[in-house]
Amino acid sequence: MKPIMLHGHERSITQIKYNLEGDLIFTCAKDSQPNVWYSINGERLGSYRGHNGAVWCIDVSWDTTQVLTGSADNTCRLWDCETGKELAVLETLTAVRSCGFSYSGRTLMYSTDKTMGHPCEIHIYDVRDSTQVSNQSPAMVIPSESSKITAAIWGPYEEYIITGHENGEICHFDVKTCEKLISVKEHNKPINDIQASKDMSMVISASKDFTAKLFETATLRHMKTYKTDRPVNSAAISPVMDHVVLGGGQEAMDVTTTSTRIGKFDAKFFHLVFEEEFGRVKGHFGPINSVAFHPDGKSYSSGGEDGYVRVHTFDPEYFDFRFEY
Amino acid sequence: MAADKGDQGSRKAKRSESSVENHIIGSDEEEEEPDFSDPEDFVDDIKEEELLGDLLKQRPKETDGIDNVVVVDNVPVVGPDRVAKLQNVIKKIFEKFGKIVTEHYPMEDGKTKGYIFLEYTSPIHAQEAVLNTNGYKLDKTHTFAVNLLSDFDKYENVPDEWEPPAPKPYHDVGNLRYWLLDPDCIDQYSIIYEGGEKTAIMQNCIYLNSVREPVIIEERPRWTETYVRWSPQGNYLATFHQKGIALWGGERFDQIMRYSHPGVQLIDFSPCERYLVTFSPLPEKSEEPQAIIIWDLRTGHKKRGFHCETTTQATWPIFKWSQDGEYFARHTTDTLSVYETSTFRLLENKSLRISAIKDFSWCPSDNIIAYWVPEQENVPARVTLIQIPSRKEICVRNLFNVADCRMHWQKNGDYLCVKVDRYSKAKKIEDKDAVKYSGIYYNFELFRIREKQIPVDKVECKENVLAFAWEPNGHKFAYIHGESPRISVSFYNIRPGGKVEQMKVLERRSANHLFWSPMGQFVVLAGLRNMNGVLEFVDTADMTVMAQTEHFMATDVEWDPTGRYVATGVSWWGHKVDNAYWIWSFQGRLLSKQPMERFCQLLWRPRPLSVLTPEEIKEIKKNLKKYSQKFEAQDRLRQSTVSTELIQKRRQLIEEYEKFRTQREEEFHHFKPRRLALRNGIDTDDLGNRAEEEYEEEIVEFLLKVEETLIDEE
Repeated sequence: MKPIMLHGHERSITQIKYNLEGDLIFTCAKDSQPNVWYSINGERLGSYRGHNGAVWCIDVSWDTTQVLTGSADNTCRLWDCETGKELAVLETLTAVRSCGFSYSGRTLMYSTDKTMGHPCEIHIYDVRDSTQVSNQSPAMVIPSESSKITAAIWGPYEEYIITGHENGEICHFDVKTCEKLISVKEHNKPINDIQASKDMSMVISASKDFTAKLFETATLRHMKTYKTDRPVNSAAISPVMDHVVLGGGQEAMDVTTTSTRIGKFDAKFFHLVFEEEFGRVKGHFGPINSVAFHPDGKSYSSGGEDGYVRVHTFDPEYFDFRFEY
Repeated sequence: MAADKGDQGSRKAKRSESSVENHIIGSDEEEEEPDFSDPEDFVDDIKEEELLGDLLKQRPKETDGIDNVVVVDNVPVVGPDRVAKLQNVIKKIFEKFGKIVTEHYPMEDGKTKGYIFLEYTSPIHAQEAVLNTNGYKLDKTHTFAVNLLSDFDKYENVPDEWEPPAPKPYHDVGNLRYWLLDPDCIDQYSIIYEGGEKTAIMQNCIYLNSVREPVIIEERPRWTETYVRWSPQGNYLATFHQKGIALWGGERFDQIMRYSHPGVQLIDFSPCERYLVTFSPLPEKSEEPQAIIIWDLRTGHKKRGFHCETTTQATWPIFKWSQDGEYFARHTTDTLSVYETSTFRLLENKSLRISAIKDFSWCPSDNIIAYWVPEQENVPARVTLIQIPSRKEICVRNLFNVADCRMHWQKNGDYLCVKVDRYSKAKKIEDKDAVKYSGIYYNFELFRIREKQIPVDKVECKENVLAFAWEPNGHKFAYIHGESPRISVSFYNIRPGGKVEQMKVLERRSANHLFWSPMGQFVVLAGLRNMNGVLEFVDTADMTVMAQTEHFMATDVEWDPTGRYVATGVSWWGHKVDNAYWIWSFQGRLLSKQPMERFCQLLWRPRPLSVLTPEEIKEIKKNLKKYSQKFEAQDRLRQSTVSTELIQKRRQLIEEYEKFRTQREEEFHHFKPRRLALRNGIDTDDLGNRAEEEYEEEIVEFLLKVEETLIDEE
């Protein structure tokens, strides 16, 4: 089916997320205005205005009341989802690379970049405690001594945060003790994205080392590897099928030396268990920076370096396709 | 010596003490000039060697000049009247190797004694003279015996009792040709990847209808420092190191031999695999020539070293081998030197004098050398074929207006094609010793070696020729010509009677290389590098294009030795991204893609020549139907086993996964109260699915505005 093209960003898309019901898509880009769209028809609902720099990350609370964005203007901002009102500005020393609401939406976290002599840290705020936000005093600061955090999500039930690092490591950080619980190094290049499966029992990591890998969330046991011939920028697990989708492509700086004809900017579908590629979706004319499945698994979206978000609804054949075994 | 050192040490200690005292005193009083002269009872116990040992080493010795002197025996005995003439002759022969400083002709009763002494300016010249003139035939009765004077000392000290050298234990490396025993004729190849960090030998595991991942036979980090080479028959793998070359072989790829040659850069095997030639550009340190060394491959002994003249623009291989490995040859400015491997000396002790020889090449099947000389003052340019060792000229072809020649032998040695670049105008550039040609056109001189008197045909081409290649064992040739974007590929066939006919011209192609299958008939046209890796597979039996495809930015095309597969690669040495090698069938069907981090080089392991006689091959070809049935059945079987294996593997994977899932689902169920607590008691677990069930389409109507328009009723 023909995809819906969401054209509301002036620069490359950095992250896209669905809300829990899947009726809304939240997108952020290197321009400073994150947007929210109807997933059904691609109509833009509104923007969150206030940032003065590239927005690296976006998240929405489970009840779709609040939106969190992290930006290169050294702020992480909390918005009222419905009105677009800025609820809080959390100032940081460096750019905010990843952010997220916890399962309950009562706490939020973000990670900062390691630049200008400032260390890379995870900050955790309790949203219910307004003094924390107004005084800019986070409930918890977890420093990451080793390598910079390039992707982070909450673990299930708010016990720990799963972080992906620039050197390819994936770790668990306990949010109460700040300790590093587990650390595995299956990738040898930066982790670009981490996404959890619907029941949070598995996570998939996307790395610049041309692979995406599936891990058991609780133990970070390496389960599967999906190999491609390009850096992988984002990977997502289907909520209904045993499928994963990988988005990526040659880095923007190398694009001129490669051919677009070969279709290196395709979204690639792999079977989750067999690690075999079975389908590709083309369309972007730049690398894909973020992919996300609709919570009902019947469509998915991809956002690319080309500034477009494409919402693809699967054809019935997709659901009929079976691997022989 | 030890005692000396002790003395020195104690003296040093004393001195430092006194300096301390001086310092203390000096701080109070006016500093006194220290006394440097030796005390009266001082005995100088330092030897000169200790003080200036390095200088003394350079002190001239009595024996210094001795290495420069050669002794020549078997010189004709002549009277005083003819000494001057003899000296002239001797000078002529020996001044080739360097300046002669002194010459001494011992006389007895007014006659020379039959031996003479010559002194050169350097030992290198003397050695060169010995190497080249020992055994020189002056005339029928006089064959020179030339030795270094210093050699006399060496041979005087030879012990009388001969001690047999200890036998070297035999090291069994197993069957070097084990890979040929594979019943399915599976080929191996070497690959270098990770930018040269890793080298592996792989086994190609593609059969006609089933594809499997290649099997790694051997993988070693830092196996080679630059690149690898297979020997011509595939028995050995050569790796390059700073210190020299190592050869590997056998089933486990054990080291077979090492050849120490610091800084080695280029190597070449003799076709028979008996000799190895290595080249190092490092400046030669010792007196022996060692820019190029020829080794006995099996024993590892150095057979002979050569200098490498940098003046002639030589291209590797400098030494070219005859097909049987009996002879090897090189050319310098005005000579063609042919050496015998039985003695490692010049054939008949002299080089062929061919003034201004530009290039030569051996026939791949017979001991024939083809060479060409350019135009010289009213003498036309010439291509000559000579037989070795008889040196008989068997064919001479005069050519006019020649700018350049390139010789291409057909692999069986049936034909020689000389590509001649001709000009319509030549202009001498005055200040430089070069000629500028204009109006270049091309033609091919086709020599039919197998026929009597070697008839020659001519094919002309007005356009720039980019590549030329013979069908390895057939009568066809193809060449690429024209300027981009109007590049064409022409195919020709030589009929049994000798008639050259054009078969087909493929126009407007993007190709700059052409690769014939080693079995003939099929050819791959490739537009490598700047032509983006366009590939075209052509069957020349009926001149059909079987496939037009591309391997983007491909840098290399390699046919496997059986002509069943083609490997194309994007080498990291040529292009920094998308490094991979792909394997195609000979019809141009893509069989396998192997992306590989910083892949550098793929080389198929060569196979030795078939041991079947032409009659046997004919017999096989006749009964091909019978064989192909058998092979097809095998292919089917293999394909079905591959798919059953795959399905079994999948089944196993899914079982494991399902076990994991049920566990996780139980856990998930177990934690439900916790989730409810976190989200204020709202169950969001199957929100996605439920949302759809409750989804109803609702049409909401708004009144936007009411407008009244008058319509003309007329």
